[in-house]
Amino acid sequence: MDPQADSSISFLPHLEAKIRQTHNLARLLTKYAEQLLEEYVQQQGDPFGMPGFSPPRLSLAGLSGPSPSHAGLPLSERLRLDAAALGALPALLDAVRRHQAELNPRSPRLQRSLEEAARQARALGAAVETVLAALGSAARGPGPEHSATTALSTANSAASIFSAKVLGLQVCGLYGEWVNRTEGDLSQLVHGGVA
Amino acid sequence: MPAGRPGPAAQSARRPPRPLSSLWSPLLLCVLGVPRGGSGTHTAVISPQDPTLLIGSSLQATCSIHGDTPGATAEGLYWTLNGRRLPSELSHLLNTSTLALALANLNGSRQQSGDNLVCHARDGSILAGSCLYVGLPPEKPFNISCWSRNMKDLTCRWTPGAHGDTFLHTNYSLKYKLRWYGQDNTCEDYHTVGPHSCHIPKDLALFTPYEIWVEATNRLGSARSDVLTLDVLDVVTRPAPPPVTTDPPPDVHVSRVGGLEDQLSVRWVSPPALKDFLFQAKYQIRYRVEDSVDWKVVDDVSNQTSCRLAGLKPGTVYFVQVRCNPFGIYGSKKAGIWSEWSHPTAASTPRSERPGPGGGVCEPRGGEPSSGPVRRELKQFLGWLKKHAYCSNLSFRLYDQWRAWMQKSHKTRNQLFFPSTGRGDPALGQTGHGERSCRINYKGQAILLQLAELEVCPN
Repeated sequence: MDPQADSSISFLPHLEAKIRQTHNLARLLTKYAEQLLEEYVQQQGDPFGMPGFSPPRLSLAGLSGPSPSHAGLPLSERLRLDAAALGALPALLDAVRRHQAELNPRSPRLQRSLEEAARQARALGAAVETVLAALGSAARGPGPEHSATTALSTANSAASIFSAKVLGLQVCGLYGEWVNRTEGDLSQLVHGGVA
Repeated sequence: MPAGRPGPAAQSARRPPRPLSSLWSPLLLCVLGVPRGGSGTHTAVISPQDPTLLIGSSLQATCSIHGDTPGATAEGLYWTLNGRRLPSELSHLLNTSTLALALANLNGSRQQSGDNLVCHARDGSILAGSCLYVGLPPEKPFNISCWSRNMKDLTCRWTPGAHGDTFLHTNYSLKYKLRWYGQDNTCEDYHTVGPHSCHIPKDLALFTPYEIWVEATNRLGSARSDVLTLDVLDVVTRPAPPPVTTDPPPDVHVSRVGGLEDQLSVRWVSPPALKDFLFQAKYQIRYRVEDSVDWKVVDDVSNQTSCRLAGLKPGTVYFVQVRCNPFGIYGSKKAGIWSEWSHPTAASTPRSERPGPGGGVCEPRGGEPSSGPVRRELKQFLGWLKKHAYCSNLSFRLYDQWRAWMQKSHKTRNQLFFPSTGRGDPALGQTGHGERSCRINYKGQAILLQLAELEVCPN
């Protein structure tokens, strides 16, 4: 009996359980992300949250939403992109929280939600990386800290309060987009099985 | 120092107190409108950016576009404020690239993060935004009150300025310092007992006065309350004494006094937090009939932890409350602060079921025993009474003997069983209550002897 084969066979149920657990986490965070966005727009006042409100996207080099071609990529590549985005989001969510503490000091609930979102993004990103490592696909490219730093440093002028509100909206939106994307990618893994 | 310092002139827009970039130290943002693709998208800038204004003042703003496309024009641009399109008559073209806006008599900001003034392109897309902060400077906080639970801490609360909402986020800071020396200190633990409160947990001096005040600050100015001077020792209290509550704790009790119809006994313990420091405490009791709103106050409870309420109505439910005042701590001559009244506790006085005059509950039986066990005990009790109850002109008789004596002496049926005119001996803890009762102290227990009829049914 090959002990390595034995360990591989015994490892698979754990990996499948981990994948299911990570997928469930992503599904839960998708709901939380929707609530965060609702709470955020409510605190900024109209027109934030109004139907059709669509401010221009601010450029955050190193972090954008999932591209239209994302779905066509190999699963492992998609999960790598998911992990990288989830790794970059906590720093941005923390920055939004600090600013909202100044803009909306009487809204501790929003600040708690932003803090939890940062923690949740970090946790989901780490879980996805664990799955990738278990599948033999290590994370590639710049680390999450580098992406965050790149995103944070690309702007070149002082911000206004309105643009700060817009940026917070964008970050909360990106958080929702990426946890939703991660949930979709993991569901393929759950239903398709470990190759 | 003046009571309040108004901010700069309020008729023109003013810049926010500090640049937003300082809030974003690790995060530098693109100015809204920097094109992602750089493919000829118009961009614009609103001036002033994020102004602060007084309610009722006016605002002149401009939206200036600069685009990559030649011939970019301000024609067709329009404004919205908090999502609502502003009437076109409020804006006009200053030049081909600038749209001006004039707003008058501004209302207070709708949200604490500022009103959203947005410049739109003809197609509705957003070109630029600016947040307006419209409100009032803070008014002088007032009505500062402070108390200490344990002589180590201090909690203060205050009322914000008289007219309430300033429409701007107003920061309140509780400051304190020793009166004759020392530096200003700032309280750090806010909202402990309400939105305008702060708790100083430690490092407070005793036997020396503190000066305490509140500073209110917002984007339009600041205001300072009057200074409150106090010694921590003089404001020691507890929000409530060990309570008489709907679920009374075992050591707080309101109960009947045997079968006495007009009395209730109230017992409590002194507040445990003060027992290490308490030199004296005085208590007050108040009580009322269940369906009445009039409280009667018993003021002379002193520092006892029990009290007998007398003169109550039989068969009646009473609500009772207790409060305490820790005065005389460490020799302080000042009266302390009365605590809140404890939660009411209800108890009822017994209702007499004895027969009235002419009635009887005992059916006569044949053969009156002259020496049954009850009778022997009663005789022993009467003997004890004679020995321990010092009331002048007091005589004790068993009822049947008293009846016989009554008939002989032709007295009325309502003659008292314990006829007494004495007042008792105060040295023995006896307090007379006139002709109808006598109080004695037996091994620390007060016993009230009331003039009443005692009927013993024969066995």
